[in-house]
Amino acid sequence: MNPAEIRITAEPIDTGRCKFVVSEPVHAGGVRRFASPDEASGSPLAEAIFALPGADVAEVIVSGNLVTVVKRSPVPWQTVGKAVGEAIRAALAGAGPAVVPKPAAAATPGTDDDALYERVADLFESQVNPMVARHGGRVELIDVQDAVVMVRMAGGCQGCGMADVTLRQGIEAMLQQHVPDVKGVVDITDHAAGSNPYFAAAKK
Amino acid sequence: MLRPSTHRLLLLLPTATYRTAAFVDAARRLGVDVTVASERPSTFQHANPGGLVTLDLSDPDRAAAQARAFAREHPLQGVVGVDDDTAVVAAAIAGALGLRGNDVAAARAARDKHEQRTSLAAAGVAVPHFRLVRVDEDPRRLAAAVPYPCVLKPLRLAASRGVIRADTPAQFVDAFGRVKRILEQAGCDRSILVEDFVPGREVALEGLLLAGELRVLALFDKPDPLDGPYFEETIYVTPSRLPADEQRAVAACAERAAAALGLREGPVHAELRVNGSGPWLIELAARPIGGRCSGALRFEIRETGKGNGETLSLEEIVIRHALGMNLPALEREPQASGVMMIPVPGAGVLREVRGVDGARGLPLVEEVVITAHPGQELVPWPEGARYPGFIFARGGTPEAVEAALRAAHRQLQFVIASD
Repeated sequence: MNPAEIRITAEPIDTGRCKFVVSEPVHAGGVRRFASPDEASGSPLAEAIFALPGADVAEVIVSGNLVTVVKRSPVPWQTVGKAVGEAIRAALAGAGPAVVPKPAAAATPGTDDDALYERVADLFESQVNPMVARHGGRVELIDVQDAVVMVRMAGGCQGCGMADVTLRQGIEAMLQQHVPDVKGVVDITDHAAGSNPYFAAAKK
Repeated sequence: MLRPSTHRLLLLLPTATYRTAAFVDAARRLGVDVTVASERPSTFQHANPGGLVTLDLSDPDRAAAQARAFAREHPLQGVVGVDDDTAVVAAAIAGALGLRGNDVAAARAARDKHEQRTSLAAAGVAVPHFRLVRVDEDPRRLAAAVPYPCVLKPLRLAASRGVIRADTPAQFVDAFGRVKRILEQAGCDRSILVEDFVPGREVALEGLLLAGELRVLALFDKPDPLDGPYFEETIYVTPSRLPADEQRAVAACAERAAAALGLREGPVHAELRVNGSGPWLIELAARPIGGRCSGALRFEIRETGKGNGETLSLEEIVIRHALGMNLPALEREPQASGVMMIPVPGAGVLREVRGVDGARGLPLVEEVVITAHPGQELVPWPEGARYPGFIFARGGTPEAVEAALRAAHRQLQFVIASD
């Protein structure tokens, strides 16, 4: 693959998170989340992003043609984004896969990601989605990795001014109560693309 | 998932605020438990009764009674309002629960433009000459009696909605009718403040009141002239390029204004004009800067010893103050910073925004946030009050930041259906 032909669009979510939309598939095996350089070991794309100087990358999430990067550094995405793009291009141009498949989970009944996924999916179906449906919303469970739940909001939740409240005070609080093994929730929604938010913001 | 906390903050978030993500994120970073109060119930309220509550944000006394009842089950250590209305509600709740905050009378005086003008003029703070008129008065008779140029203002609308300059009696009559329609549409007070237009450079001061003492957090220049006839804001850049003595005079004027209103605690956002007569107080609000603009501000963490480039947001400072937590040095980062509230490009339904990637890729541009959604109706000022988005930039000098904001804005193309 010629790296020059790969088109990458950076879509900052906030100062700490940025989504990179890649014109080529990056990882076809579902969602992979890397929360440390150690976890990235063996996956050239994630290794390279964690190694970016000055970015202090905290997390890399790869799914399909999306790469979401979470950083702690105040360095702007305008600077970091170019380096991330170069890392993605270099990894895709390499001989091996840019991201290796997720290793099999340790067989700990009741706490592995597959079991958590089932419990979270049940909670979403039975309680979370009926609640957000009252505002025309929907919350999709994308994956559970290392006990971190990845969600995507849709309908009235996508772009809603209160989406963060729904996520933190609603969904996260319910997970804490009903599935306490869950360690965190990551929202990978493209809120800017929401066309029918339940609450739209106005200044002051 | 959530860190245990000994602090619970009541965060007053109207459902239409832009401020939700910034305040919720700030509370999480500080490890503070949050109860979000809105005027409409969350669908999760029964599932998380300690984290979500519905308050009547249109009635501060009623909201305070509701908060008092809530606090019996879930004790609160602080309360923060995020806009003009919730600043008054926060003051009422603080008074009812014995929390840090302003007196309700002071918050109300800041909320109402006529009450504010009256208090400031009585205290000798430089404000434009003003008079209050009713919408049922004869505009032609009024037009013959006011000096020109003048400005007509609703008393309680935000973001300069309904604020119109008139240079002649004919313009006054037109503006009067337009403001009257806006007030009817908004369903608010049927009075209009008519005041002298004050020429000069406009600045915005962001500050924090600590027991009545004003700590200036940032002073923004507004490089685009705000001479009317409408007053849609665009660029804010800090640090200010005003001479140091004028900056001190601006800060002193804002502090006198806060004292005259009786404000003693928490964030203030003041807008002033500076001309040959010195600073004039145009408006002072008992809340932090609006919209997404706080993203332009970062503060150094030096007292905590972190010193690794990590910074605090304005919202973290506001929450720390409300909860009585230690405050850092309250010094802004060394870099120049700015934000552009993207002007409404025209009336119609937004279909698409092009050029965002190009704008993001420009030097010094940190972020381009389009907050208007496809299908949203864009309404220009003075009837409108919603910006379609925000551009942020940082750099070595205010001049460079301002140039970057303008360059990024030129990249954007709004596709609007006007039918």
